[in-house]
Amino acid sequence: MIVTGKALSRRQALRGLGVTVALPFLDAMVPALSAARSPAAEPALRMGFVYVPNGIMDLRGEWTPTGEGTDFEFSEINRGLEPFREHVTVLSGLAQLNGRPGKDGAGDHARAGATFLTGARPVKTEGLGIRAGISADQIAARELGKHTQFGSLETGIEEASVAGGCDSGYSCAYTNTISWRSPTTPNPVEDNPRRLFERLFGDGESTDAGERLARLREQRTILDFVREDLARLRGDLGADDRRKLEEYVQSIRDLERRIERAEAQSEKELPVFERPGGVPNDFTAHVKLMIDLQVLAYQADLTRVTTFMMGREGTWRSYPHIGVPDAHHAMTHHSLDSEKIAKVVLINKHHIEMFSYMLERMRSTPDGDGSLLDHSMIVYGSSISDGNQHLHHDLPIVLAGRAGGRLRGGQHLRFPRETPMNNLLLSLLDLVGAPTVRLGDSTGKLEGITHG
Amino acid sequence: MSGMVRLSAIVILAVVVAFAVMRSAAAAPANLSATLTDTYCVSCHSNAARVAGVSLQGLDPSAASKHPAVWEKVLRKVGSGEMPPPEMPGPNPEERAEFVRNLEAALNAAAAADPNPGRPPAHRLNRAEYSNAVRDLLDVNLDISAMLPVDDSGYGFDNIADVLTLSPALLDRYMFAARRISRLAVGLGPVKPEKDLFVRNRETGFRDAGHARSSPTDLPLGSERGAALPYYFPRSGAYLIAVALDQGDSRTEYEYREARVTVGAGLRTLTMAFPSESSRTERTRPNGSAQAKRPHPPLDVRLDGERHLLVELPEASIPFKIRWISIEGPFDPTGPGPTPSRQRIFRCQPSSASEETPCAERILASLGRRAYRRPLSAGDMSALIAMYRAGHVDGGFENGIAHAIRSLLVAPSFLFRIEQDPEGTRPGGAYRVSDIELASRLSFFLWSSLPDELLLQAAEAGQLSDPAELERQVRRMLADRRSKALVENFVGQWLELRKVAKAKPDELLFPNFDADLRFAMRRETELFVEDILRANRSALDLLDSERTFLNDRLAAHYGIPGVYGRQFREVRLPDDRRGGLLGQGSILTVTSYPNRTSVVIRGKWVLENLFGMPPPPPPPDIPELEEAAHDAEKLTLRELMTLHSQNPTCASCHVRMDPIGFALENYDAIGRWREKDGDTAIDASGSLPGGMVFDGPAELKAVFKTAFKDEFVRTVVEKLLTYALGRGLEYYDRPTVRSIAREAEASGHRLADLVVSVTKSMPFQMRRSAEQ
Repeated sequence: MIVTGKALSRRQALRGLGVTVALPFLDAMVPALSAARSPAAEPALRMGFVYVPNGIMDLRGEWTPTGEGTDFEFSEINRGLEPFREHVTVLSGLAQLNGRPGKDGAGDHARAGATFLTGARPVKTEGLGIRAGISADQIAARELGKHTQFGSLETGIEEASVAGGCDSGYSCAYTNTISWRSPTTPNPVEDNPRRLFERLFGDGESTDAGERLARLREQRTILDFVREDLARLRGDLGADDRRKLEEYVQSIRDLERRIERAEAQSEKELPVFERPGGVPNDFTAHVKLMIDLQVLAYQADLTRVTTFMMGREGTWRSYPHIGVPDAHHAMTHHSLDSEKIAKVVLINKHHIEMFSYMLERMRSTPDGDGSLLDHSMIVYGSSISDGNQHLHHDLPIVLAGRAGGRLRGGQHLRFPRETPMNNLLLSLLDLVGAPTVRLGDSTGKLEGITHG
Repeated sequence: MSGMVRLSAIVILAVVVAFAVMRSAAAAPANLSATLTDTYCVSCHSNAARVAGVSLQGLDPSAASKHPAVWEKVLRKVGSGEMPPPEMPGPNPEERAEFVRNLEAALNAAAAADPNPGRPPAHRLNRAEYSNAVRDLLDVNLDISAMLPVDDSGYGFDNIADVLTLSPALLDRYMFAARRISRLAVGLGPVKPEKDLFVRNRETGFRDAGHARSSPTDLPLGSERGAALPYYFPRSGAYLIAVALDQGDSRTEYEYREARVTVGAGLRTLTMAFPSESSRTERTRPNGSAQAKRPHPPLDVRLDGERHLLVELPEASIPFKIRWISIEGPFDPTGPGPTPSRQRIFRCQPSSASEETPCAERILASLGRRAYRRPLSAGDMSALIAMYRAGHVDGGFENGIAHAIRSLLVAPSFLFRIEQDPEGTRPGGAYRVSDIELASRLSFFLWSSLPDELLLQAAEAGQLSDPAELERQVRRMLADRRSKALVENFVGQWLELRKVAKAKPDELLFPNFDADLRFAMRRETELFVEDILRANRSALDLLDSERTFLNDRLAAHYGIPGVYGRQFREVRLPDDRRGGLLGQGSILTVTSYPNRTSVVIRGKWVLENLFGMPPPPPPPDIPELEEAAHDAEKLTLRELMTLHSQNPTCASCHVRMDPIGFALENYDAIGRWREKDGDTAIDASGSLPGGMVFDGPAELKAVFKTAFKDEFVRTVVEKLLTYALGRGLEYYDRPTVRSIAREAEASGHRLADLVVSVTKSMPFQMRRSAEQ
């Protein structure tokens, strides 16, 4: 038995010797990837959504920029976006009106999460008959996913609720995710960087092309087996049970299509890298790692559509590292207490700081003839404006990225009060080549966000 | 907000109307129930007014079977005294009791005449069920749940069939888990050495990285600080075990040690601990102040309790803590080793090529039957053999078995619990599920896992239809250690115990809240409930008890002397400060904010989880209260809450929530006893509507045990039945709830008896066939 010791640097000690996080291998990837993509090709467009829970403070104009059009000033909370001014449009006046109580009563947080990308009124139920609407990211994924292994990635930093009810008679499904594959199938959110990594790159045993191909072949035989078993089962079932298993059939198709894509791209060398560990202890490190992995997925063209939840609606998360040891949700019901209001503003600014990190990563990642940010459209915001009163109009929404030069940026646009946010979603779906006539409560498209 | 105002206006209007109606209904007709309804209900619940969407106009309670849904609601509201509202005229107590009795009898009779057991759809195994099923199938001890995401929940539980959907992302995870598990179980191991890192975490200790669940009680005797890591070594061979030590987050001295160790394959517990002497000297030192360096005790590293090394550390002024541990390997693997999994799987070993297929058939027939929880069809079998062959081509016999197991783990027949309507059943009619299906209902309820061989055999022999045999099996299963799953999953969600792992008490206010304390809190409640269940004690003991389960850490937290060591043991409580769930740190912590207690959250938790009376959520914005709060800078909590009772909108709910919360104010946000909050003395006095007065937790519990006994028992039954059926309860389940509660009353509310009653109940035994 030999015991050896050595001095560790602070960084090695903090992170764990030899287990690198996603960052270092990004640079190593660039040449391989840019070589793989023909320079003449039209740059691929990416679509991302970043959700923040419990609304954003705007009681005294903390959020809404002053001035409109290109002549505007960022406000206290979103001032951190100034470095990206030309890549950013702040949108005021949008609403998710199906988030309002209507005849459904309490449950604004559940409805906020469920409406953000669907614009559909979620059915108030704890279980039986769960239904929202298909979400915009999933419509985009059907189109953009034709080119990539993963139609979309659903990520977040909070696990689904582990116990207790979530909001006033709504199943936790409505608050756990913002992405709905169909009106009845919510997509689970991945919060664990290691699991996300494994999903993207396999279990990391080998990046050798031949072995990866063999692995894919194995998967195919398993899926064939699953199909057979399903066929044997389905013969004897009632219509309701058959519907339930239909989700499985759909998922198999999705996986088979992915295997095809992967086989077609198997000559593409992935760089050698190590897996991230589990969930980092601190919020900032966790968020940044999840952002790194999303950017990596864009960069390696594994997916072109992502959603990222910087918290579940109604979350109690506290932020002691920025001086908010209190539960976020409790602070948003501030009863005009100036101390609580100040704390909510701190949280809101912190989230924007994280978003800026994402934009910076994307801007500094070359992609074709520009940067990832040039070829993306990222929507940031919440489906609640005032968290104290649970308002679902005048939503705080930012649109970032240039979408290959089609988005204007550098402006603050104010739309007529209660303009459906889904009109924005429809406009963006047009840009990614997934034109949709109607989605949720949409009434048309937004003017002024694109050139021409 | 506006809804509430509107409602109050209607109430006032209704009062006026009701008086008018009362005067006109002076003569008493024969049917008392119908008269009472007309007299006290229909003024608001008429076709025209439809308050709360309910109309009772023209309905006859003696013919309740015609509208059971609405009458169940009436029964509940009138029985609990919620209706008619207190400010409205109502029946006298005798009239009320008779009304309730008659209505209940009518509803019970209607349900017995035409049972409706409900129809839960095909049920995907949830994360806990999948993990346990794999563990029981392959005898593989991995923390499989770390490979899968948390499931969506509804009705307070994550085993609700309607909510357990399947998406491509989840199928991905299943495919990944199946490959990894099948290879580890068969002993194929990773292609090349892998490295796992376990970092100290305030919330979870050393958990994570997908392998292990750490428990501080695994540390060697006589040590107080350290880490215990159950780790699955995939192959026998050499492993590099490394540890980094630091002196707490703000310190900058680090030590690093690594050692190459030869380990046999399988699950082993790696412990790294400091002998307890170090902890004792630590306590005598002032908190982290500059001190002369002194000899540091060595780090004791063991595998399965056997000492491997004693790592010497340099002198230090502040004791070292483990920052992270990494395990890397296997290097130079020597073989798969005789792991329990291999022993389970390889019931035969072919000695020649011609023996391979018959042996594979034997192995897969056994695993397949267990995994699918039913006899295999010829089609099932040939499909499994085909998978074996496909794997055999690539890598021989064992690879073939691994490939077949991998398929098994993603097979719909494994992943879904599917019940099939027998032929010839009337569409929408009730039928008894088959014994085979009942076996799965039992095992997933009691164990969150597959039926074992004994249960499956009893089912195949048709013995579960015999109530005596059914009861025998249930009691056997409750006695089996696998019934811990019922505590972990049912109690973990019902009492929100699982949230203990997620609680984030403020580190500045509660610096001693660490992973050990977190673990101990959850463990106390689990052991406490498990004891009541296994010894078949009264469910009412949950509300109050003279005993609990503690280790030194938690006893010190509670200020209870005389408990030494990290092992949990039963402790007789020295006074009435603790005792029962409401004196347990777990529940007191999850019902607090990170930096303070909340009387409202605690009150709500009690009403909702113990008495089934969830208060409606508050209107989001209450201007009156805001103004008052804003004007009064330095109101105490109690003064602030007094505002609740002065505001009629708030009072209707807070009159019940707040007093309960105040009575628990003697516990701080992490469950420590206190007499003062800051400089203010705790005032734990209060009263509930109906003249129940109390001061402090002990008196509160006395009120609960008497005045709220029926509500509590009914709530336990409702929660158990929801969990057992994997679906939300509907109006047609109410008669079942009542009948189980009645049986419980007769048997002294014994908890295990309650569980037996649930398994014998109509909806547990039956299913409604598909509507065509």
